[in-house]
Amino acid sequence: MLTLVPTNPKAIEDYRTVIGDTRLQELRDLAAPLQGARVLHVNATAFGGGVAEILATLVPLMNDLGLHAEWQVIKGADEFFNITKAMHNSLQGMYFDWAPSARDTWLRYNQMNADLFDEDYDYVIIHDPQPAAVLGFVEERTGRRAGKWVWRCHIDLTDAQAEVWDLLRPHVEKYDGAIFTLEGFVKEDLRGPEIFVIPPAIDPLSPKNLPLPEETIHEILRRYGVDPARPMITQISRFDPWKDPLGVIDMYRIVKREFPELQLVMIASMASDDPEGWAWYERTVRRAGEDFDVHVLTNLNGVGNIEVNAFQRAARVVVQKSTREGFGLVVSEALWKGRPVVGGNVGGIPLQIRQGETGYLVSSTDECAERVAELLREPSRANAMGARGVEHVREHFLTTRYLRDYLRIFHALDGRQPAAEFPVQAKAGR
Amino acid sequence: MYGTLALSHRALDELSEAAGRGTIEELRRLARPLEGLRVLNLSVTGFGTGTAELLSSSVPLLTDLGLDCHWQVVRGSEESSHAVREMYRALGGHFTTWTPEMTQAWQRYVELNAGLLTEPFDVVIMHDLQPAAIRSHVGDDRGAKWLLHSHLDLSSAQEDVWLLLRSHVERYDAAIFEAPSFVRRDLSIPVHIIPPAIDPNSARNMPLPADVIQSVLAQYGIDANRPILLQISPCDAESDLVGAVDCACELRDRFPDLQLVLLLTTEPQDPVGRQCFDDLSRRCQDDAAVFVVQVGTKVGNVEVNVFQRAASVVMQRGLRRGYGLWLSDALWKERPVVAGGAPGLREQVVHGETGLIAESPQDFVKHVARLLSDPDFAAELGRKGRARVAERFLITRYLRDYLQVLGGLNRG
Repeated sequence: MLTLVPTNPKAIEDYRTVIGDTRLQELRDLAAPLQGARVLHVNATAFGGGVAEILATLVPLMNDLGLHAEWQVIKGADEFFNITKAMHNSLQGMYFDWAPSARDTWLRYNQMNADLFDEDYDYVIIHDPQPAAVLGFVEERTGRRAGKWVWRCHIDLTDAQAEVWDLLRPHVEKYDGAIFTLEGFVKEDLRGPEIFVIPPAIDPLSPKNLPLPEETIHEILRRYGVDPARPMITQISRFDPWKDPLGVIDMYRIVKREFPELQLVMIASMASDDPEGWAWYERTVRRAGEDFDVHVLTNLNGVGNIEVNAFQRAARVVVQKSTREGFGLVVSEALWKGRPVVGGNVGGIPLQIRQGETGYLVSSTDECAERVAELLREPSRANAMGARGVEHVREHFLTTRYLRDYLRIFHALDGRQPAAEFPVQAKAGR
Repeated sequence: MYGTLALSHRALDELSEAAGRGTIEELRRLARPLEGLRVLNLSVTGFGTGTAELLSSSVPLLTDLGLDCHWQVVRGSEESSHAVREMYRALGGHFTTWTPEMTQAWQRYVELNAGLLTEPFDVVIMHDLQPAAIRSHVGDDRGAKWLLHSHLDLSSAQEDVWLLLRSHVERYDAAIFEAPSFVRRDLSIPVHIIPPAIDPNSARNMPLPADVIQSVLAQYGIDANRPILLQISPCDAESDLVGAVDCACELRDRFPDLQLVLLLTTEPQDPVGRQCFDDLSRRCQDDAAVFVVQVGTKVGNVEVNVFQRAASVVMQRGLRRGYGLWLSDALWKERPVVAGGAPGLREQVVHGETGLIAESPQDFVKHVARLLSDPDFAAELGRKGRARVAERFLITRYLRDYLQVLGGLNRG
């Protein structure tokens, strides 16, 4: 067996007040024919990262709905994880000098993990490229396929390095289904699996999103040196060129001419082994200079879920000034808290920001400054946009919708649900 | 130029509620002769370590006290990163195979960083051993005083690695250690003891309403109305995570409601750490009363605060090295604690007074059981624990110690 990841229990009933009776009943109806179905999610790590975060919610909720879901992680040593990290980067468009020995290492660890695979499941979901070759090796060893196998790709393959994708593709083509985050992320030359699209979603009950009393929000701000009595805008993102942290500071400076009281809080999620992130952190700090109304915080100095929650709630406007983006789920997090978002017109952001309704899409620093100032000038309009944002997220980007999509995919793979009624954006007949 | 860090402004007066008016006045008095003193703190990293946390509180506060206080981080390089990391481990007592190539890489790292010290300072405080040899590359003509503040327990440092450093450390004006047992006996420079401290005003220690605590716990599936045994630790062999689960299982015979929460502060760093997580996962499979909160970097100060306030008993197993200051955070919240007998933990916990010391796995079971069954005793330990932290482990005491050391240097 692979390593089983313990998850903490969750109850779908707890979501009733958030999503309403109808949506909850829909989930129960979809789950009814799947009682006792054995579901296995496999990914590379139990720690950090968006995938682990999603599984920590999805797996216990599937169990609560009567399925028998498990989450396991593959085993590997540093030589394997170094290669899969490079593989991950090159699938996102970074160049990697792919040596045959790297390929052999990747396959060897996949085979080793396949040998540990000793039970049958009704549905196996393999997440991301690291363990993608496990299916082939399991079939080779057992001479059969038990259950339906789905490859869940969380990354944007648009600019994938060709030779790395070519290595991966034959392994992926063995699967019964493949799930992508956005329609634009689907590789055109992928043949075989039925294609599904599931955009990511937020958990409204997680510590990052749960409601907080105003006094607690203000107290948290004060503990980080931010004045709750003065207007504040925030961007929460990694520090890298595509999130344009320097542009955010420039934008803030423009807006500050009109609103001298304005504060900017930038919160970065950093990895200790990411030298590029550090370089951008430092550039950001230098650009901020001695303006102590610019607060540069990171997860590594203890700014966690609840802090992010508080800063999003307290912000007059939330900014996501990306010039390139995967999905940008942080936009939905902010909308869910009733805040209007001004974001770059890239990746999944336009799905979340409806121009002029839940925020503004922008393509330059000046435009961004213009829109932020506009929302600061008219708080009641900003609040109205925020309120529409909450409804938009409730409809499209909550974890319960994500769960529903998975249940529908299980039905579709078993042929229980006619394709015409299938509401997930499936591209059949490719 | 060294690496820059973002620091927020702090006002010392904010601490008067926690530390008392008198303490604040004493600090101001001690700081007066040091006004304008140019102090440079240097460390290897700006984040994620106890050292970084102390500096991010103390540097802005010393600035507020009138010192011209700075904090910068030395530059690393790809070539040196392995040697620097292994040197850290070896100094902390983990065996490492040290090669001549590593010595060379380390030397180039030191030289590179020595060349970056261009601004004039009155005092340079080095918070890590790895770049400490910078001192030897800089002449005495500038008249700066050099302090080495070791946040590591050097008592069991690997000999060959320590010998590379010793002569360089000897050139410092004084060294600071966190506890007497951490000190190297083979040093001839003056040594000061400054234990680490917690910041009572950080988000990790701020008061929280009961409904916030309850709803956060609920999101992890934890019942706020049932007893909670908490351990906060990294995912490594020293933290004895499987032992913690064994302990909770044994206790559940007598306390069937007991929930164990293991809050893992770091991801597994190496194969040993991954094995620990694997072992832990297997050990607590299907155990609905063990909660592994394993989001590492996403669980921030406020969440740690929530878990500590919710805990019926806080446990700290293992930890042979270092201080384990999480315990003082818990004591400040009046939590009863059961700690292993490591030196750093003993500094914080006086057995039977401010918590209980466990010498064996059986002791842990026995002591936690006692605290769960005798709430009055537990509450009394908690109260006394807070009083001890107030006296010995608040950032104001740390600042006072520092001002005294700096004052002494200045006179000398």
